[in-house]
Amino acid sequence: MKIEGEYTFTGPREKVWEIIRDPEILATALPGTKKLELVGENEYEGEMQVRIGPVAGVFGGKLIVSNEVAPESLTLTVEGVGKVGFLKGSGDIVLRDQDGNSTLMKYSGEVQIGGKVASVGQRLFDAVSKSMIRQGLGKLNEALRV
Amino acid sequence: MTYKFIGKRIKRNEDPRLLTGQALFVDDVDIPGMLHVAFVRSDYAHARILNIETEAARQHPGVVAVYTAEDMGDEWAPGPPLVSPPPTLAGVIFNSRRQSPLAKGKVYHAGEAIVAIVAESRYIAEDAADEVRVDYEPLPVVVDLEKAMGPDSPRVHDDLDTNLAAHMFQKKGDYEVARAQADLIIKKKFFLDRGAAVAMENRGVVAHWDEKSQQMTIWDTTQAPIPIRNGTAARLGLSQKQVRVIAPFLGGGFGPKAMMFYPEEMLIPWLSMKLCRPIKWIEDRRENFYATTSERQQVHEVEIALTNDGRVLGLKDDFLHDTGAFDPYGLTIPLNTQCHVTGPYDIQNIASNCTAVFTNKPIVTPVRGAGRPQGVFIIERMMDFAARELGMEPLELRVKNLIPPEAFPYDKEIIDQAFAKLILDSGNYLPVVEKAREMIGYDQFIKEEQPRLRAEGKFVGIGITPFIETTGVGPYEGVRIQIEPSGKVNVATGIGTQGQGHFTSFAQIVSEQLGVAVSDVSLVSGDTAEFHWGTGTFASRGAVVAGSATLAAATSVRTKVLKLASKVLETPEEELELEDGVVRVADLPHRSISLGELAALANPLRGAVEPGTEPGLEATDYFGPAYGATSFGVHAMIIEVDPETMMIEFKRYITVEDCGTVLNPLILEGQIHGGVSMGIGNSYYEKMHWDENGQLLNASLADYLIVTAHEMPNRIEVGHLETRSPFNKLGTKGVGEAGAIPVTACFTQALENALEEYHLEILESPLSPNRLYELLRNLTMSTYGREARK
Repeated sequence: MKIEGEYTFTGPREKVWEIIRDPEILATALPGTKKLELVGENEYEGEMQVRIGPVAGVFGGKLIVSNEVAPESLTLTVEGVGKVGFLKGSGDIVLRDQDGNSTLMKYSGEVQIGGKVASVGQRLFDAVSKSMIRQGLGKLNEALRV
Repeated sequence: MTYKFIGKRIKRNEDPRLLTGQALFVDDVDIPGMLHVAFVRSDYAHARILNIETEAARQHPGVVAVYTAEDMGDEWAPGPPLVSPPPTLAGVIFNSRRQSPLAKGKVYHAGEAIVAIVAESRYIAEDAADEVRVDYEPLPVVVDLEKAMGPDSPRVHDDLDTNLAAHMFQKKGDYEVARAQADLIIKKKFFLDRGAAVAMENRGVVAHWDEKSQQMTIWDTTQAPIPIRNGTAARLGLSQKQVRVIAPFLGGGFGPKAMMFYPEEMLIPWLSMKLCRPIKWIEDRRENFYATTSERQQVHEVEIALTNDGRVLGLKDDFLHDTGAFDPYGLTIPLNTQCHVTGPYDIQNIASNCTAVFTNKPIVTPVRGAGRPQGVFIIERMMDFAARELGMEPLELRVKNLIPPEAFPYDKEIIDQAFAKLILDSGNYLPVVEKAREMIGYDQFIKEEQPRLRAEGKFVGIGITPFIETTGVGPYEGVRIQIEPSGKVNVATGIGTQGQGHFTSFAQIVSEQLGVAVSDVSLVSGDTAEFHWGTGTFASRGAVVAGSATLAAATSVRTKVLKLASKVLETPEEELELEDGVVRVADLPHRSISLGELAALANPLRGAVEPGTEPGLEATDYFGPAYGATSFGVHAMIIEVDPETMMIEFKRYITVEDCGTVLNPLILEGQIHGGVSMGIGNSYYEKMHWDENGQLLNASLADYLIVTAHEMPNRIEVGHLETRSPFNKLGTKGVGEAGAIPVTACFTQALENALEEYHLEILESPLSPNRLYELLRNLTMSTYGREARK
């Protein structure tokens, strides 16, 4: 499944970059994240509680940051496995300066899901992932103001 | 032929038990000390299994045992090859790859069982299954049929060079000659996709190994208990007498419950022996979508050669057939497709080239229709396109090419699923077509009703589709009949029953011979302890094959009855009649003896049974047809398309069947109604959606749409004509799959007719409201829908 979109942060690009590279802030922003720990250079391990329609469960997995060009762009790769299936995806994030001290984030990527989460939850996955991304980005934007 | 019982609308013997909840289903079996199984199934369609961590599950309170393929040791073995490719067909390539009780080293499709958890309850087993961790190395996945045969495709089976499961070529005449003589050649490519059988009852197995009696009893939702008994005995190193398989009442079979030897069927009895405990496994709905077989994906490239006056000279079909990850059921489905792709038409030149392909999807075995709907869809689509090109009326083109009555028995020269050349035993097709045409008011609809409704802005269309259904194939079935001293009659047969009404239709055959009430005949079907020879209920063969065996056994018992009664009543046999449970002298009805009394006399307590005779009024007989019996029928429908929602309403639905002698019209109509509902699902609602990674995206009844009362026609009008089959004494032909077979072809024709002004060319099945919308949109019509009409 393809994921694509953009979001405008009310803050300068450097500041936005700083918060998306901070695992503690990121952990609070990703809905359902139970933990997110830096385990190596640009590699995080974490657990996330996900509910997609009738399917709910904890996914444990890795988040890897690569192709990092600070404070402009990076690639995120996610791999998660849980009792309700697996998900695997990667996406590119690009930040651009906008007028009036704001920053535009463009993201695009692809996610593959399998197991129960695919066979029973697929119909809702698109809507759920969009809403999770929106919530997460909203949280990050709030963090900018602190 | 006039019958007293056969052909009558007799209410079913089995219904009181079924309707009051007294009938036994597999999940009703409850044995003290019984354990329950849940499976850990693969989330991946294709992956190497790197490690399986089961310790936490083993420690889970209430868990009795946990098994992986490794834990089975030397006793792990793939299932048997059930149906070999036809030895009568030259040059067949067949790569046999079979499913195993638990995946070893690699998973080949999503949902494949990897670990079995045995616990005190299913709840505990499911919870413990969550504790198992399987580490996979995901592998590239084979999903698309055409890509699967490409040079760069990943391979499903590492030990094969390609994904080729089988290849076979069949021909009649010489297509190239026909092509050279033709005025018109039409070439099309069709995509057909998979649907599930969705029986109301999922599968289930209960196995009980009794250590003291050294007996294995298995309750199994199988359509073929005897092959399962034989295979289980062989797998477990037991004698066939030590294994009893009972197929009790089933909530629908539809093919996938035929002799598959599913992993669970292999494993549950083995577990029961290992643990010396009764074990139960009942499939849940999501498991059913992955672990139970499904069918119908094929890609056809077809060419038809015609003369300008509408005579079909030849047909060439090159097709890919999806067999899923394994092919235990051989080539039954594509053989049926090859036999039906020329339909009821006299086509002298045929070239059919079939390539069966392995994919990382669940196993494909027959589902009601079993390759026939695909063949019928192809030929009927080609007929529609040809009629359009030739400017002929579609029905006229069809009638012109029907096999004429004097051509029977008609040799198709194509090997069928019974490994013999398909001989159409008998038929008189035109009156069936005419009857359907009359019942639906074809001419009046085309000339008057349709123009009037179209003028009102309505999108109404008509479809009318003839089809054949090969049925009643061998090898054989047997029946034992015994009259008890109570006068009641016991009948036992090896085939299982899944709702076909065997308890009644077979009883009618017995009643006809023995003159007893249908309700006095009780049938046991599908219990290997009661009758242990036979094959099973599939391929629309129950009524023809087991029905004919019933007739043979009933006739033998009748002979014994008459012989004994003749002696007792001191009257020649030819002056006796069997009526109302007694044998009486035809012109002296007060001189009579009841069948019960005769049965007692036939089993004396003193004296001696005469040499050369047997005690009791009992006989066992078999029927094995050299060729099947082929039914003919026509479906016709009038539909209306809502141009905004793309939903369909059936205004009329007609079927006319010629399945030879009708045993019971009530049961026949029930079969047709059920089949039509499956056919409608196959046409417009039911499709299994696989993503490019082999994940099934609609594995629940919330997303996989089965037909409900709302989508059904209000009424299905069923007409009959009878052309008796000369290949069996009953003169009957099968009809179990007939309801489903032509529906997609007929529906597509009606849909194109309803949307005639858009010149829609439908080359795929199943459709859906969404897909129809896409097809119309793709026509890049500037306007469509109601606006276009105004």
